[in-house]
Amino acid sequence: MKTNKFYLFVAGLAVLTALGSCSKEKNTNVTKALPPSNPITAGNISGFVKGTLLTGSTYTVTADITVKKGDTLAAQPGAIVIIKADAQITVDGVLQILGTQASPVSFNSDTKTPGSWGGLACDSAQAVTIKWAHIDNAGGPDPTGSPRKTISVGVPIKVDIEDSWITNGQDDEIGIKGGAQITILRNTIQSSGSTDGEAINLKTAITGDVAYNVVYSQAGTAVKLETNADVPFPQTIVNVYNNTFVSNGWRRGAAEPGRGISVGVNAVAHAYNNIMVNNYQGFELFTDGDAVHTTYGNNLFFATSATIIDQTVTPNVTVNLVANFYPSDGVGKAQTTDLVNIDPMFNSFNSSFLLPNGAANPNDFHLKAGSPAIGKGSTNFGVTTVVKPNVDLGAYPTDGTGNKH
Amino acid sequence: MVKNFYLTIIFILSASLAFAQNATLKGKVIDAGTKAPLQGASVHFDDYKNGVLTDDKGEYTLSNITPGEYKLKIKFIGYDEFEQKIKLKTGQVITLDVRLKSRNVSLATVNVFGKMDKESESAARTSEKNANNITNVVTAKVMERSPDINAANVLSRVSGVTIQRNTGGDEAYAMIRGLEPRYDNTLINGVKVTSPDAKSRYVSLDVVPSDLLQRIEVSKTLLPEMEGDAIGGTVNLVFKEAPDTTLFKVNTQVGYSQIFLDRKFIDFSKAGINPESPSQLHGDNYVAKSADFDRSNLDFQSKTALPSTVIGLTYGRRLLKGKLGIIIADNFQNQFYGTNSQFNPVAPNPQNDYKPGITDVSNLTYSNQQLNNGLTFHADYKIDDRNQLLVTNVLLYSYLAQARLSIDTGIVGGNGGRNGPGTGTVTNDDRSLTQKELLENLKLEGKHILSKHFLFDWAGVFSTSTRKVPDEADISINHLIAPDFSSTPDYFDGITHSWQHNNDRDESGLANLTYKSKIKEAPLMIKIGGLYRHKDRYNAEDNYLLQPLAGPAGGKQQFVNIYSAQDTVYNPKGSAQYDVNNYTAFEDIGAGYAEFKISLAKLDIFGGVRAEHTSQGFDYATFIPSLLNDVRKSYTDILPSLQLNYKFSDISQLRASYFSSISRPNYYELVPYVNDSFNGNPEMGNPALKHATADNFDLRYEIYPHEDEEILVSAFYKTLYNPIELSISDFGGGGNIVVEPENVAPKATIEGIELVYTKYFGKIGVSVNYAYTYSNVKAPKPVADTVSATNQTVFKLESRTLQGQTPDALNASLLYRDKEHGFFVQLAYQYLSRTLSQLYADYGSDYYTKAQSFLALSAEKSLNKHFIIFGKFNNLLNTPTTIQINGLTIGQNIYKANYNIGLRYIL
Repeated sequence: MKTNKFYLFVAGLAVLTALGSCSKEKNTNVTKALPPSNPITAGNISGFVKGTLLTGSTYTVTADITVKKGDTLAAQPGAIVIIKADAQITVDGVLQILGTQASPVSFNSDTKTPGSWGGLACDSAQAVTIKWAHIDNAGGPDPTGSPRKTISVGVPIKVDIEDSWITNGQDDEIGIKGGAQITILRNTIQSSGSTDGEAINLKTAITGDVAYNVVYSQAGTAVKLETNADVPFPQTIVNVYNNTFVSNGWRRGAAEPGRGISVGVNAVAHAYNNIMVNNYQGFELFTDGDAVHTTYGNNLFFATSATIIDQTVTPNVTVNLVANFYPSDGVGKAQTTDLVNIDPMFNSFNSSFLLPNGAANPNDFHLKAGSPAIGKGSTNFGVTTVVKPNVDLGAYPTDGTGNKH
Repeated sequence: MVKNFYLTIIFILSASLAFAQNATLKGKVIDAGTKAPLQGASVHFDDYKNGVLTDDKGEYTLSNITPGEYKLKIKFIGYDEFEQKIKLKTGQVITLDVRLKSRNVSLATVNVFGKMDKESESAARTSEKNANNITNVVTAKVMERSPDINAANVLSRVSGVTIQRNTGGDEAYAMIRGLEPRYDNTLINGVKVTSPDAKSRYVSLDVVPSDLLQRIEVSKTLLPEMEGDAIGGTVNLVFKEAPDTTLFKVNTQVGYSQIFLDRKFIDFSKAGINPESPSQLHGDNYVAKSADFDRSNLDFQSKTALPSTVIGLTYGRRLLKGKLGIIIADNFQNQFYGTNSQFNPVAPNPQNDYKPGITDVSNLTYSNQQLNNGLTFHADYKIDDRNQLLVTNVLLYSYLAQARLSIDTGIVGGNGGRNGPGTGTVTNDDRSLTQKELLENLKLEGKHILSKHFLFDWAGVFSTSTRKVPDEADISINHLIAPDFSSTPDYFDGITHSWQHNNDRDESGLANLTYKSKIKEAPLMIKIGGLYRHKDRYNAEDNYLLQPLAGPAGGKQQFVNIYSAQDTVYNPKGSAQYDVNNYTAFEDIGAGYAEFKISLAKLDIFGGVRAEHTSQGFDYATFIPSLLNDVRKSYTDILPSLQLNYKFSDISQLRASYFSSISRPNYYELVPYVNDSFNGNPEMGNPALKHATADNFDLRYEIYPHEDEEILVSAFYKTLYNPIELSISDFGGGGNIVVEPENVAPKATIEGIELVYTKYFGKIGVSVNYAYTYSNVKAPKPVADTVSATNQTVFKLESRTLQGQTPDALNASLLYRDKEHGFFVQLAYQYLSRTLSQLYADYGSDYYTKAQSFLALSAEKSLNKHFIIFGKFNNLLNTPTTIQINGLTIGQNIYKANYNIGLRYIL
């Protein structure tokens, strides 16, 4: 292993020297000239797998895959993975999916129907990095009958999920516990959770940032924060800013409604600059959340209809959306910096409430010129963030630094 | 097999009723010294044919005697034998009262072999007095007259024994000296019996009807000849043996539980329950559909409970001129019992200085119907005076139908907002299950006097037990109660169906060789022996999850009733091929020992050493990538034992004992399968668990002033290494919690005293026993450290008692016995002090069971020579089991009183 690296290093030096006389553009891509580690041949894969999924190659996962501890599963831009037979990808080693805006990596099932493959079970992984990837239709039941999370992590590692699309899952889309440090930026999570599940569910000692994400039509809550009830420390402390959460929390029924953001069980949130529209409930700071350390403000709440009557059950349930921006069973209160019941003026929005799992998202949540959300954000709310909060609310600030989708 | 036994009963009954009516001999047998009537003395003619035992008043009647000349013999253990020739004429009725002289010689077990002992009928007191180790014995007579219908209830009256019961069920396991059941072993006729229970090593005592028991021996110290896996002690259930005289008893009883006078019994249909899961029926690749699953077993109906009934039959006699003795007993119970239960788990509350705060409110009501049938057959055949063969077969069948209705509101976490009592998301989780257990235990043994000095005995034991839970079904529905107390409709949250099956097998062989002689005048005994046992378990589970179909517009489906609920089978092939609960486990034990006993004039010395080699392991049905597979462990223990018994006089002695013993982890504790969750955290086995070992020291001073009277004072000290406790672990991952059995502390100490006092003042008797036990464990526990700059969890050493250890246990009985009129009353009181029942996650607090007082009344009255009516009234104080943390009540199980009346017929 050591000698291999040494030779590669020498070879790299040789290439550098050889190219030294050429133009400057050419030697900027010198690392790309290196062959990938353990390239994986296109075609069927299953069992214990390690190495690199290659650009332009299509892989068919025919049965469960396990990446052993110490091994790496990497994906180059444009790699396509088709999963059959409700298989699951278990990562006990390192997961490194590195797509690009131009050529994202894709994980999808052969049937392309919601909940038709297992998901990325990184519960005991050593590191998780996912950039520019489509992860669609995961969350099918495990063999014991439990729905699976699309991406799950249960260990104190770095988890970096950026610029990706996660759609049509069945339970939690990103379910993380066990002390992980997270960076969840600029993702689009939509139409997931059959009749339960959060988009981003962070439990037990999670720290980090959730920013510039769009969550649309999740069954439960867009971002849910909790600390373990039995272990008060370390706490879950997460910054949630500049996200756009629309039409969430309807598929779990009136008995367990979903929210834009919920903060419970001794968790701490710093929630600013988010746009929350047509969610069953808006920002819920539960009585068991850490209300002392949680800070929030500059959030926009809107409902295209002040109340709606759920006629799918008998007796009908009347939902007062405006009252639900800060639900009465929680301790959260509207802040003076909030924009309450003000239309953010999305480029397009179909005014949806309850939609089925897997529904299409025809909307464009960029802000129209003149949107009241422009310029109402806080760029400094007293905590250190991994990326800069934007003065415009939501995932699509007008300066283009937010969500690229 | 069952059928054959019944046929045998009928055959023997017809034979014994065929005698002609002729002469009669009757009379009374009393102690020549005290003039007390002697009960249980055997009265017979030279052969065994129509012998009888004297009754409570010492009276006997021999009827149906063909006229002629006989040699009458009257025998009673501990007394000189009475012998007289007697002539009977047709129609004659002769009365003959007999006084027996007490033999003032000890019934020491040390005698040079002459004839085979009949080893029965000796009174409990005599057994305790002459045992080689420290024991407590309860006899059948005591059981008959106390308000107990199963072995568990009987045992709860033995000094130093407490009974652990589980919520909702009637399962009961003995705890000796406040040590958890894991540290004790339960034997039937001296051998271990496999347990059909998924979690326990031993058979639950509630399935053993007290009518089948001749006696229960509780050994608190171990001899090398006894199996070494008992740190607290050994409970030996000795089943009835063939009597000298024809024995025929019928016992019937009806009863009712107060709980079903106060609320309805919840029932469900069992007609649609499929004994096999869809994959078992149609093959592994079968894709199950919603229609494959029964719905009627989730349709819960309120009914009025029927009374509980008990019928017991015991028949025994000797055949072939007394060479062959048989006894058959069958006991059938049909019981209805229930529990109303509340359990509110707690967790550190950050808003109240991290003191325990309630995280969840749950109310559970259980309605159980349990049918038990215990059939035992025992035969002993005396080949001659020197050789004897014995066969014992125990067949226990148990059926349980249980409905559990649960109402649960989360306070911390979850998706509902609870804002004051009576609000929040309410989940109804209702479950039905039926369970069948069948336990078969066959023991063959032989005793052979090889010469004047050598006795050889051997036994082979074959035991199997199976447990089947076909289609345990569970439905979950929920609704939200808003802060203004308005409620949403019910939503359908899913159904599970589970098929479980396990099978345990035990095969043991053991042999002992005893040598007896004398050194000068001191009797000497040397004994060597060994045991080999193979145990294995097969455990299988197949689960199906039925997920609600989305309702209109893709939302959640409203729940109207079970028949209209729309669902889809989420894992249509079942979980059988992947489930971690599908495993096989084994345990092989090889043991050998050598021991000696020398009886000096005043001092008995008993000593020796035992070696036990254990190998244990398990395999999953399929490879589980995330867990340890194919685990194998083995270890050898050398267990010395020394017992000293110093006799001050015939009526008082002092015993001192040292022994070393072990406790092996149960199967389920090694296999890391995920169990029912524990306060919301998964409970798993731990393959790294070590077996516990202990050094035990005991002292007991005994006084036996008169018949029926005893005073025992004892003290003990134990050091327990690697005690096994259920603990919350794996904080390393920032709160990714698992509850698993662990060797939490390297060591625990246990010390205590016991007092036993029994005395009669004329017709009134007092029996009191009290045990005080102090245990100490020091183990680290996390605590929220709010003093340091950054809030964090730190570990502190907590000093506490062992899990499940009860400091004070008092049993007191007041007895009234009027033997003349056949009238007996017993009022029994039991007190158990506060007991650490579960470890709490954080430093400084633990779950305690609040102190409990129980009162039971039993009475019986002879109507005539053959019939006795009786009544047994239990839990008269309506004592609940209450769980507290820091004095705050967080859980309660309410069982309420239980009333039984019955009729007993004795031939």
